[in-house]
Amino acid sequence: MDLAVIPRNLHFLLGGLVLTLELAAISLLGGFLLGILMGLGRLSSRKWIYYPATLYINFFRSLPLILVIFWFYFMVPFIIGRPLGDFLSAIIAFIAFEAAYFAEIVRAGIQSIPQGQVMAGYSTGLGYYETMRNIVLPQALKNMVPPIVTQCVIIFQDTSLAYVIGLKEFLRRIYLVDSRELRSVELYLFAGFVYLVFCSIGTITSRRLEKRQIGR
Amino acid sequence: MIQIKNVSKWYGDFQVLRDVNEEVKQGQTVVVCGPSGSGKSTLLRCINGLEPFQHGEIIVDGVSVSDPATNLYRLRTEIGMVFQRFELYPHMTALQNITLAPMKVRKKSRREAADHAMKLLERVGIPEKAHEHPANLSGGQQQRVAIARSLAMEPKIMMFDEPTSALDPEMIKEVLDVMVDLSTGGMTMIVVTHEMGFAREVAEEIIFMDEGSIIERGTDISFFQNPKSPRTKDFLDKILM
Ligand SMILES: Nc1ncnc2c1ncn2[C@@H]1O[C@H](COP(=O)(O)OP(=O)(O)OP(=O)(O)O)[C@@H](O)[C@H]1O
Ligand SMILES: [Mg+2]
Repeated sequence: MDLAVIPRNLHFLLGGLVLTLELAAISLLGGFLLGILMGLGRLSSRKWIYYPATLYINFFRSLPLILVIFWFYFMVPFIIGRPLGDFLSAIIAFIAFEAAYFAEIVRAGIQSIPQGQVMAGYSTGLGYYETMRNIVLPQALKNMVPPIVTQCVIIFQDTSLAYVIGLKEFLRRIYLVDSRELRSVELYLFAGFVYLVFCSIGTITSRRLEKRQIGR
Repeated sequence: MIQIKNVSKWYGDFQVLRDVNEEVKQGQTVVVCGPSGSGKSTLLRCINGLEPFQHGEIIVDGVSVSDPATNLYRLRTEIGMVFQRFELYPHMTALQNITLAPMKVRKKSRREAADHAMKLLERVGIPEKAHEHPANLSGGQQQRVAIARSLAMEPKIMMFDEPTSALDPEMIKEVLDVMVDLSTGGMTMIVVTHEMGFAREVAEEIIFMDEGSIIERGTDISFFQNPKSPRTKDFLDKILM
């Protein structure tokens, strides 16, 4: 064991971790916002909203993420005529992919709110948007918190797949350092430790929030 | 104020409303009763456009509900609705429940909406509960907040869908008192209820529905004393015991 390999390359590795966190945070935010729209679309009574949303969700949920990452990397430049760069194309792929999963979380969350709440809102003259924003979503979000945190942990882990298009995120940098220093055991143990710490934070947060909800 | 003409409604093949005709004049209180599944709630939801119907016409305050040009959101501000299970927003205080629609729909300031809400809470007898969440209120108190919430839009019509049937007996009176008050104050009301004491006291007309049709109607006295159909008689015997 030569753990000195880690401090020696710490700056480089932390740079990768920052990139990983950025990728995860942006994918999370974008995926969640798009997921709300898709989740609402999936509950729409209008066919021209319902079918595209449903198709979108089922489509991305039936593909492996790695394929989606490849697609956006190779096909988007083909369509728009110039390369997007690895970071941007990874972000788009993640947002598109994660939105399908968030959409299902949002749908389940909204469906957990009784129809009577919506009727109460409508009966006082509120429109669809105001009813969703003020009555349904605040209640639904509370129910959605645990699955959302779980999805955050998954996204954080998923970002490592961006290595396939050469993005130098955390795990990719571990690999690069290893190919130079030949310290696989130390490096991959360290990588595991970092993932463990971050994911545990997520899992513990999720438990806390769940408990707080039951106590309410 | 409300004219219901030849209204029929189907859920798929199942006919929920059969050729319903009814008129409610301004200031009147009409009580609707009938067995479970007879279409009472559906009729109320058709009146404020929460449910579409396939045949007939409903005119509220001169406006046809099924006319595609009708602004249903505007129409609903004229019709308050009170539900069996209260349907208060659990994440808001009583006051916030009441002020939401006036602020969002009528664009009232928070201050103005809150002042009005406090007056309404006084009217239903629970001003001290303004800052409580629904979970901390008894059923009767929740229903009174729900009534105040509907009144906050200053509707011309109030509809009640079995407002006391989820309440413990000792709380029924406090809610009925508020409703009697409204009725004698000149509000136009449609009340689905089996509280026949209430019906006797304030109803100008009582209608009895069965399997989607109105099969009996009468002023209070004629309705109770000599029901024409055996179904009505049966039903009255059961609920009056
Ligand atoms: N969305 C729906 N889809 C299909 N059938 C429905 C729907 N809503 C109500 N029904 C049916 O329509 C009939 C009338 O329902 P409604 O709720 O109007 O009855 P009700 O007179 O209010 O009864 P209750 O006293 O139980 O409240 C019932 O048989 C019910 O099962
Ligand atoms: Mg009903």
